[in-house]
Amino acid sequence: MIEPKEDPIVTLYREAFPHFAQMVRALGGTLEEAKDSFHDALLIYLERERAGKLHVHSTPKAYLLGTAKICWLHMRSKASFSLLPDGFDASEFNDPATDAAMEEREQRVLASLERTGKKCLQLLKAFYYDHLSMDDIAARLGFNGRRSATVQKYKCLGKVRENLKTNLKTKEAYAE
Amino acid sequence: MRNELNETRLIDEYLFGQLNEEERRSFDAHLLCNEAFAEKVDRQRSTHRLIRLFARKIQRRRLEAIHRTLLTEPEFAHYIKNIFA
Repeated sequence: MIEPKEDPIVTLYREAFPHFAQMVRALGGTLEEAKDSFHDALLIYLERERAGKLHVHSTPKAYLLGTAKICWLHMRSKASFSLLPDGFDASEFNDPATDAAMEEREQRVLASLERTGKKCLQLLKAFYYDHLSMDDIAARLGFNGRRSATVQKYKCLGKVRENLKTNLKTKEAYAE
Repeated sequence: MRNELNETRLIDEYLFGQLNEEERRSFDAHLLCNEAFAEKVDRQRSTHRLIRLFARKIQRRRLEAIHRTLLTEPEFAHYIKNIFA
């Protein structure tokens, strides 16, 4: 019997994460920080790969380790920023409270969409994030061909956009 | 309905830089003159951010699952445990 082939991301994770964990430990970081930064780097890797924009000059592992280190340093600098002493003039930086409010609002809209329009979100994700062809999407999601899937894609885009309008109005009403 | 779909498609082509020079100029003019249309374009931009947020949420769940699965492999788990011992 032939063993099913392992997901290449699992193989890459098994090979690269211990090295990255060791690097983070040596720099005084924790396992949780190592995992979070490693996942950020893997997301970047996967997104570039799917978009056909991944240019690996050495090995995927080296590329991933380099990206993860940048993500970890970035995370650390953000953490130290939030621990700055009182009186530090931070006006030139983004306000973390505004970023957090924006993220919270987006998460709320997303949670509502996941309840009412999950099929639309899956179709939009397949096209815009996974970069699948409309033929592929039609076959996977059960549409009668690419034309029908394309029409549905624009309907979904409009639907989510209008949902956003309603949600933002509700939010503004709360704020008043 | 058809017009609405065509407009959604046109906004997408603008957001992804797929319009030619003349189309883009005409689109920009429409943006300046029509506030409601400009808001629609902004919301469609936000819609794309939301799609990315949704997709990343799914990807992060997948990566968490891989992490948990690998920690059930004795060699991997032992190695990681020793690093942070």
